[in-house]
Amino acid sequence: MRRSVGQILGRTGIRIPLILWSIAVLYPIFWMFLGSFKSNAEIYRNPWGWPETFSFANFSQAWTNYNIDISVFNSLIVTAIGAVLTLVLAIPTAYAIERINFRGSKMLFTLYISAMMIPMVLGWIPLFFLLNDLNLLDNVFGLAIVYAVSQLPFSIFVLTSFMSTIPKSLEESASIDGLSPYGILFKIVTPLSMSGIITVTIMNCIQFWNEYFMALIFLQTKTNYTLALAIDYISSEAQYTNAWGTLFASLVIAIVPVIILYAIFQRRIAKGMTEGAIKG
Amino acid sequence: MVQSKKQKYTFLAFCLLPTFILFAIFTLYPLFSGLYFSFFDWSGSSSNKEFIGFANYIKLFNDVIIPKTIIHDYFLVVTKIIGIMILAIFFAVALTQLKIKEAPFYRVVFFFPNIMSVVVIGILWTFIYNPSLGLVNSGLEFLGLEKWAKPWLGDEKWALPSLVLPAVWAGIGLFMLMLMGGIANITKSYYEAAKIDGASEWQQFWKITLPLVWPQIKVSILYIVITTLNGSFILVQVMTGGGPNNATHVMGSYLYQQAFKQYNFGYGATIGVMILVLSLITVLFLQFLMRREKVEY
Repeated sequence: MRRSVGQILGRTGIRIPLILWSIAVLYPIFWMFLGSFKSNAEIYRNPWGWPETFSFANFSQAWTNYNIDISVFNSLIVTAIGAVLTLVLAIPTAYAIERINFRGSKMLFTLYISAMMIPMVLGWIPLFFLLNDLNLLDNVFGLAIVYAVSQLPFSIFVLTSFMSTIPKSLEESASIDGLSPYGILFKIVTPLSMSGIITVTIMNCIQFWNEYFMALIFLQTKTNYTLALAIDYISSEAQYTNAWGTLFASLVIAIVPVIILYAIFQRRIAKGMTEGAIKG
Repeated sequence: MVQSKKQKYTFLAFCLLPTFILFAIFTLYPLFSGLYFSFFDWSGSSSNKEFIGFANYIKLFNDVIIPKTIIHDYFLVVTKIIGIMILAIFFAVALTQLKIKEAPFYRVVFFFPNIMSVVVIGILWTFIYNPSLGLVNSGLEFLGLEKWAKPWLGDEKWALPSLVLPAVWAGIGLFMLMLMGGIANITKSYYEAAKIDGASEWQQFWKITLPLVWPQIKVSILYIVITTLNGSFILVQVMTGGGPNNATHVMGSYLYQQAFKQYNFGYGATIGVMILVLSLITVLFLQFLMRREKVEY
């Protein structure tokens, strides 16, 4: 194929916006990492440059002065319990909706799915008082339950579409071999849906690890803060203490697990999120 | 499957009931209860919960901040749709149609901000806009445009537009991937036929790509509308808290302020009902507006 000079220039030209946007995405993140190794004086002197010496002082400061260790621990607890609970609740429901004929199964599915489009802000006010009555306010376990339920619609949606690809004959033959429906669910369907379960779990973990607003409303004491709240607190304090380095260090602590997950499961995460959005 | 009716229903109950009960308690009940709360004057303690009928709604219509929050929300909706869709369509076409070797690199990089925490995005961008240390003002100085430098998030006129960039920055990757999925499904022979007929790449884009990815564009726009109306307040809360002087308050951040800062829980619930109603109306209206014959060749 013949290519004109204009076309070749066009090919190079098209790269310019792509490269610019890559820089716009990567540079702030890269700069955040650099900032976490700089002293405050250096941040003021040279906010966008390379650090003179790489020091971990900001990280130890975040660890000791701002109890980031407790917040990291709280975030891990909320994320783990939330993710497990979501699976426990979503897998059986997804299976029943996808494979068992019963009246109202379509309606139930629609109910769960439409909850994805409803603004939950309205519900957060009554939820605040409900958690208070149940002694689950300002409690990481209470938050984990709220998180799990909030991700049910998405999880059920992805799991049902995954289970629909499992051949029915496997369940039928297991049933003929005398396996109970419970056995089929736990010993046949769950292992066969493992790929979908992993996708859902990674998405939920990222969601719970990152979540900010519900934590802001439902947690109050500093010792119960999740990482997002601790960072928000350090950020608002930094206006007076100017502890920008510490703030960067805490941002890095928050983002590193997400980067690791993304590095390993990049395709899965991208696919999970686009599928979750397309239902709209 | 050989099993009695009773066994089937026990199994169904085992599968569905625990999940549904928790869903009802933590999602359905709070939503309906929120509607109910909106008819009360309530500061949080049970003793002074007073039924006041539509008084909260009358207050809503007379509150001078409410129209501002609605305008701010829709400003974000419109600017985000324009910003995200133009860039996402451009990137999606560039990465699929023009054979670029390093396309996977761009795809991986552009998507990453979508899975970053809003707190991290918000604080990072607050820094980028920082009047003395920030990247924006330093960049303007570097280019010799000092007179354009300003305290972006502290300026009543510029604070709200400044929030659009982080939202676009964080959102593009997802929609780019959705559109790339749509473009990948277009049969290659359409382009070949168009080439033989002498259509330019620009014509191919307008006549083939755009009409055939319309379903994806529609879903993307609806998704941006829903997530903005239901969640724009998170970025607002992190970056400006609604200030300066209410210049960036959106409906959700105003609800948070009324309910959880000033303890007007009844009025907060009324704002919540307004958010629900407005987002439903907007979605239905958009679906009506964007209904368009499915194009098939």
